[in-house]
Amino acid sequence: MLEIKNISKSFGGLMALRDISLDVAERQIYGLIGPNGAGKTTLFNLITGYYPATEGAIRFFGQEITGLRAHKIARLGIARTFQNIRLFGTMTVKENIQVAQNIHARSGVSSLFQMYSARERRLRQEADELMNRLGLWEKRDEQSPSLSYGEQRRLEIARALALKPKLLLLDEPAAGMNEAESADLLERIRELRETGITVLLIEHDMKVVMGICDRIAVLSFGELITQGTPEEIQANDAVIDAYLGREDD
Amino acid sequence: MFLQQLINGLTLGSTYSLLAIGFTLVLGLLQMLNIAHGDVFMIGAFLGLTFSLLGMPLYLALILAMIGAGLLAVIIERLCFRPLRKAHFLMPLLSTIAFGILLQNVATQMWGSEPSRYPQTMEIAQFHLGSVQISSIDIIILVVSLGFMIGIDLFVRKTRFGRAMRATSEKPQTASILGVDVNMVIIVTFFASGALAGIAGVLTALVYLQITPFIGIRQGLIGMVAMVIGGVGSLRGAMIGGLMIGIIEIMNDAYFTASYRDIILFGLFFVFIVFKPEGLFGAKER
Amino acid sequence: MSVYMQGIVALMGVNILMALSVYAMITTDQVSLGNAGFMAIGAYASAYLTVKVGMPILPALLSGAFLSFIIGIGVGIPALRLEGLYLVMATFGFGEVVRTFFLNFEPTGGAYGFRGPMGTTLLLIYGWVFSMVLLFWLLSHSRMGRSLDAVRDDPEVASSIGLNVTLLKLGTFGLGAFIAGAAGGLYAHYMFYIESNNFNILVSSMAILYVILGGMYTFWGAILGAVIFSILPELLRFMADWRLSFYGAILVVMIILRPYGIITRPMVKWVENWIGGLFTRTGP
Ligand SMILES: Nc1ncnc2c1ncn2[C@@H]1O[C@H](COP(=O)(O)OP(=O)(O)OP(=O)(O)O)[C@@H](O)[C@H]1O
Ligand SMILES: [Mg+2]
Repeated sequence: MLEIKNISKSFGGLMALRDISLDVAERQIYGLIGPNGAGKTTLFNLITGYYPATEGAIRFFGQEITGLRAHKIARLGIARTFQNIRLFGTMTVKENIQVAQNIHARSGVSSLFQMYSARERRLRQEADELMNRLGLWEKRDEQSPSLSYGEQRRLEIARALALKPKLLLLDEPAAGMNEAESADLLERIRELRETGITVLLIEHDMKVVMGICDRIAVLSFGELITQGTPEEIQANDAVIDAYLGREDD
Repeated sequence: MFLQQLINGLTLGSTYSLLAIGFTLVLGLLQMLNIAHGDVFMIGAFLGLTFSLLGMPLYLALILAMIGAGLLAVIIERLCFRPLRKAHFLMPLLSTIAFGILLQNVATQMWGSEPSRYPQTMEIAQFHLGSVQISSIDIIILVVSLGFMIGIDLFVRKTRFGRAMRATSEKPQTASILGVDVNMVIIVTFFASGALAGIAGVLTALVYLQITPFIGIRQGLIGMVAMVIGGVGSLRGAMIGGLMIGIIEIMNDAYFTASYRDIILFGLFFVFIVFKPEGLFGAKER
Repeated sequence: MSVYMQGIVALMGVNILMALSVYAMITTDQVSLGNAGFMAIGAYASAYLTVKVGMPILPALLSGAFLSFIIGIGVGIPALRLEGLYLVMATFGFGEVVRTFFLNFEPTGGAYGFRGPMGTTLLLIYGWVFSMVLLFWLLSHSRMGRSLDAVRDDPEVASSIGLNVTLLKLGTFGLGAFIAGAAGGLYAHYMFYIESNNFNILVSSMAILYVILGGMYTFWGAILGAVIFSILPELLRFMADWRLSFYGAILVVMIILRPYGIITRPMVKWVENWIGGLFTRTGP
């Protein structure tokens, strides 16, 4: 569904990504790993149209999305979360989710008079389901900055899911969570695959990545070292050198 | 003729430069605009007038007006900036607008809203250099303002305190860790900006010979224009920006029509902010 | 109502519209110090249409506001590149360009000002105020209102959930220009006479002040700010010549004491729930 072809990105003199090619198939959980500064977040930013690629192309279901503006890409069905949580700080939990449904609602001028339409009722129901699914129901009317860290991360995922994406990009969703919270989160990510969503996951914890991903790509200093199944990755010497070796000591 | 206009432009522009420096010092330090800056200029002019009426010689009136305007700027810092250092950036902007209203009203009460005539405390001599005519007032303005410009430039670049100022405007946290007294730096900066505005006020009054409580409005805005065109945060940019504006203004009046002067200046200002926000000499980063 | 009172109430209505024009732009984090410029455009254009062309007042007001909207879009596009203090300075520059333009523009009187527009009634002013309040009320309870909040909170994230940030910013900037244009038209036809200095930087600043001091996160704040600061100068009349000093001092003190405004969003929600409760609790 997502084809990344020979993508490069440079910031001034710095090559953050060099000639990366990846293929993500539908209904996969695709892991993206690599040491700090490897260029993982940069790749997300390129896919979601935050900045243009220096070279190369990205296609989504065959359609070229390089150069499209960020909101267009989101409307095609690509949603994301952020490494450093970025919720809408003046809104409640429910409002954070509702606002992300706007691309499915009439949100133009006519929306001013749409408060009680059937479509609105359905969207409200969906928002309630999302809050239930991610364990936020009790907190629905709280302002988002008052949530705990784990809750904020889950709210970010709920907000992304409210777009009803086909592809979900998660940037270190378990960072800062405790053991139990992150196990719980993984279970929910697995469930996502069952509902037909493809996930591209950046994660530092190797155990997590190996346990959940169907395929994994390894980046280091902007280059794609290798990609393959978790077993293949674990057996790859280059990966062990670049990444696992460092983790072990 | 052209040379004559150039000299007139430089004379006028040098007073704009003094104002632009004040804007840029404060903006560079606090990322905030002091809209009452033009009114400090106006108060400076009236202080100069008052001291001259008391029979003081020009240099003394100038020094006292400068100190008075400097102190006024320090008061503005205490009232309008310090309590709001962590607030939304609009708050100090608005509080200085309000303070400007207050200053204009106070000046109206003290000196009247009708134009006040500036006393002539010295003989004005005219010098002829070929076709160019230059008065002793022009020379005083040019010498005094260029002197202060060079002075402040040396102060900021060469002295310990100047280095502390630059460190504070670049990285306030780091500066305070390194032992710079940030509040002191801010107070001195405000004093300097006010003092320069006060000098500009007296010098401008010498040319126009009459002043009102509202002369600061346009003058302050033009100082801001000069700062932006020169480059926000750049001292030398502010100086050159001011001189340029003075020349553009005089040339426009001489060869074009005076009515379009401010449309051109503010239009230029708009274009600069949108397309070249770093100005002519500012850093690219903002 | 005495003529004196009528005058205060009328100008209060104009001030409310000016506050709402600033509020419209602030909903997407755009602060304009040039709304007096849009006001001038609406004022001169509509006055020209009624006095020189003979158009009835309402279409003239709408045309003036519409012209202001078009110019607002023209200014809004380059303004998209700017934020914070730079946007403030750019819009201020725009306002001064407009003011000096009308100072020199002969067809509308130039430095002599423009005489003749008339016909504004209190009903007309408050008809506009009511329509705008209705608009903002609907907006604050709609999905579009949430979208605007998202843009204000974090434009990058807003675009990641599919919102067209450019369009929303431009739209609210244009809306603000439109409202300011209408306010200008109403003002001109109330005063019978306008001159360029009626639209100086002080007018733009006061409009921002209404919003900030009233509370910038809800349109009720903008309205309250405009009401308070339209009445306050009248209450200070006993201070005679020192009135403006006192006014300035009060403003400075208020800014220092209440830097986040008087009305906050939780307050509005609380009041709305309370009012809602009055209606639902009417059981046996
Ligand atoms: N907007 C930018 N401007 C300049 N350099 C950037 C920018 N964004 C990222 N970089 C640089 O690109 C490189 C890759 O950064 P990136 O954030 O993609 O790494 P990462 O793999 O996500 O690392 P981490 O695990 O720490 O999140 C880094 O050297 C970073 O400093
Ligand atoms: Mg990262």
